[in-house]
Amino acid sequence: MKTVYLCENSVEGILSGVYAAWTSRKGHANVKLGLIGDEDTMELFCQYEEVPVNAGHADKVVRAIREKISEEAYIVVYKAALSKERDRGDKIYRFLIYGFHLGAKVVHMLQVPEVFEIFQMCRNIDNETHLLTGFVRFVEMEGDLLVSRIGPKNDVLVLLAPHFMDRLSGENWVIYDENRKKAVMHPALRPWFLVDLISSEWEERMKKASDEDEYEALFQCFRKSISIKERTNPVCQRNHMPLRYRAYMPEFSHGLKDS
Amino acid sequence: MLIQEELSVQEKLEILSDAAKYDVACTSSGVDRKGKAGTLGNAAACGICHSFSADGRCISLLKILFTNQCIYDCKYCINRCSNDVVRTAFTPEEVCQLTIQFYRRNYIEGLFLSSGILHSANYTMDLIYQTLKKLREEYHFHGYIHVKAIPGADPVLIEKTGFLADRMSINLELPTADGLKKLAPGKSRSKILTPMKQIQKGITANRYELMEYKKAPSFVPAGQSTQMIVGATGENDFQMMMVAEALYQNYDLKRVFYSAFVPVNQDSSLPALPGGPPLLREHRLYQADWLMRFYGFQAGELLSEDRPNFNVFLDPKCDWALRHLEIFPVEVNRADYYTLLRVPGMGVKSVKRIIAARRNGPLDFDALKKIGVVLKRALYFITCSGRMMYPIKIEEDFITSHLLGEEQKKVWDIGSSGTFRQLSLFDDMNVPALTDLRGVRL
Repeated sequence: MKTVYLCENSVEGILSGVYAAWTSRKGHANVKLGLIGDEDTMELFCQYEEVPVNAGHADKVVRAIREKISEEAYIVVYKAALSKERDRGDKIYRFLIYGFHLGAKVVHMLQVPEVFEIFQMCRNIDNETHLLTGFVRFVEMEGDLLVSRIGPKNDVLVLLAPHFMDRLSGENWVIYDENRKKAVMHPALRPWFLVDLISSEWEERMKKASDEDEYEALFQCFRKSISIKERTNPVCQRNHMPLRYRAYMPEFSHGLKDS
Repeated sequence: MLIQEELSVQEKLEILSDAAKYDVACTSSGVDRKGKAGTLGNAAACGICHSFSADGRCISLLKILFTNQCIYDCKYCINRCSNDVVRTAFTPEEVCQLTIQFYRRNYIEGLFLSSGILHSANYTMDLIYQTLKKLREEYHFHGYIHVKAIPGADPVLIEKTGFLADRMSINLELPTADGLKKLAPGKSRSKILTPMKQIQKGITANRYELMEYKKAPSFVPAGQSTQMIVGATGENDFQMMMVAEALYQNYDLKRVFYSAFVPVNQDSSLPALPGGPPLLREHRLYQADWLMRFYGFQAGELLSEDRPNFNVFLDPKCDWALRHLEIFPVEVNRADYYTLLRVPGMGVKSVKRIIAARRNGPLDFDALKKIGVVLKRALYFITCSGRMMYPIKIEEDFITSHLLGEEQKKVWDIGSSGTFRQLSLFDDMNVPALTDLRGVRL
């Protein structure tokens, strides 16, 4: 009978799941990884088992990946665990089967479907992170605090934070992920950290601060005057800057398209 | 010339960014610089786009003129001295404030500072230098700065500015000396090329210096670029490409930008361009430019004296491949990097992935598709383990007619945006009318 291991939705949770499934010795074909809280239809003739997060187990898996496959493979697995893909747990498991079998060269073997899946997830998350390094918008609130709100498909906060920590090291800033209700906080000259944020009170304050910010108006005016009328090309604009990002950018507060 | 001093910052920004918009260079790439604890800014080698304007061009830098007053009378320029437009100028303080505040909010990646010529070249260059110095040393700004070198300015000033900027550029504007004489009477070829040479030498010297002393200040670390106007004078594509190639080889330029001519002034010596700016031509030039910089093509391979202009219907790489069918089809599992790069539908990224993936076993068409090869173009030119995807005649007419249907829509999109036309059965539905007829006749 097949066993589905339900793990918690985090990098550590998924890696604990990998450990539990692997060490169960039931055979790779007989195990599957799922996520707790996923609304997938339950399968028949299957036994479901919840895996608690276990830092020690996750750590063992990480060490094994780094030593037996490669450092690059570890980065790939870590990113895939942050992906928006629903069965990312199982995809990582299938990837690791090949990884432990083939060693370091596995990350380049795109002709293997399991590897390609992981490659695709990483590409998607890398692209979104890169776009967001440009599209994040900060609003200045009282007390020199810069606050930004994003709504990414993948869980990119941990990948975004190092970029902004290097860039705005002397500033206090917060990036809030609306979809996952968590935020990266960075006090000036100190390292960043993740927190869960549920209160919505500061969202209103942010809106108010945004209305008062004079530089927002200046940037809107700059954006308008920099475009060449004879070359107007909304399709090109949309390809580079999809509409879903624009809801979080002050320059599109009047509507998602340039009139 | 009446200089408006009492304008608000917003009005100035409106005027001076509007005047700078015809400058195409808005890239922020080419230099990787870590931030410094407690100060503002760093630079990423890949470049980061922060927004896109309504014309689809990226906004990564705060692109402004320092002033739009100018002593020159270049026919194509909106700021020519004989034009009656509102003239104004920023103060260095205003430029710094705008840059810092925009940067903190992550609106921009850095500053692009150009300027009209106020009083003299030296005076203007000094103003730019003072602004950059203030921004770097007083405001401790570590982000990207792209600055224009003013043709005819003192070499010492240019050098001093170069140590503060990441990229410098001097616009060639028109590829031939004749064109320059006709449309930009104040400028000359040598005036433009002298500072370009100086910057090139500075960069080379600095590279050796950095090898010996890691702490030496870097001079224009992101290299220099230039810009040419497309379609303002009678040059053909071959001349443009030859000039671009010479610039890449002799002046070590990082980029040459092409800017489709937008008529902003009425002048008897300027072309009328009733169909809008030559966007398709600009697109083809950029395609060819990429072929030269990343694909190992030479300008002479793509065009020649007899065929001086690019094919309107096919992109330069397909066009080249169709004229060299003798080297195709190429075996994907065995061909070397440079041969693969010349196959239409394959780019630098996909070729690198192919090379890495085929070490571990042969690739088939399905794998190629996953790797990112555009098979609808590539399938006419490749074999996988000795087989083509479909039985295909390696024959110019046959392949052309199949490639055309796909490319034609793109050509139409670029060449005539916002207009309408009659639907054509043969063009749009990709019915190979000619080949069928020939088949019947045979």
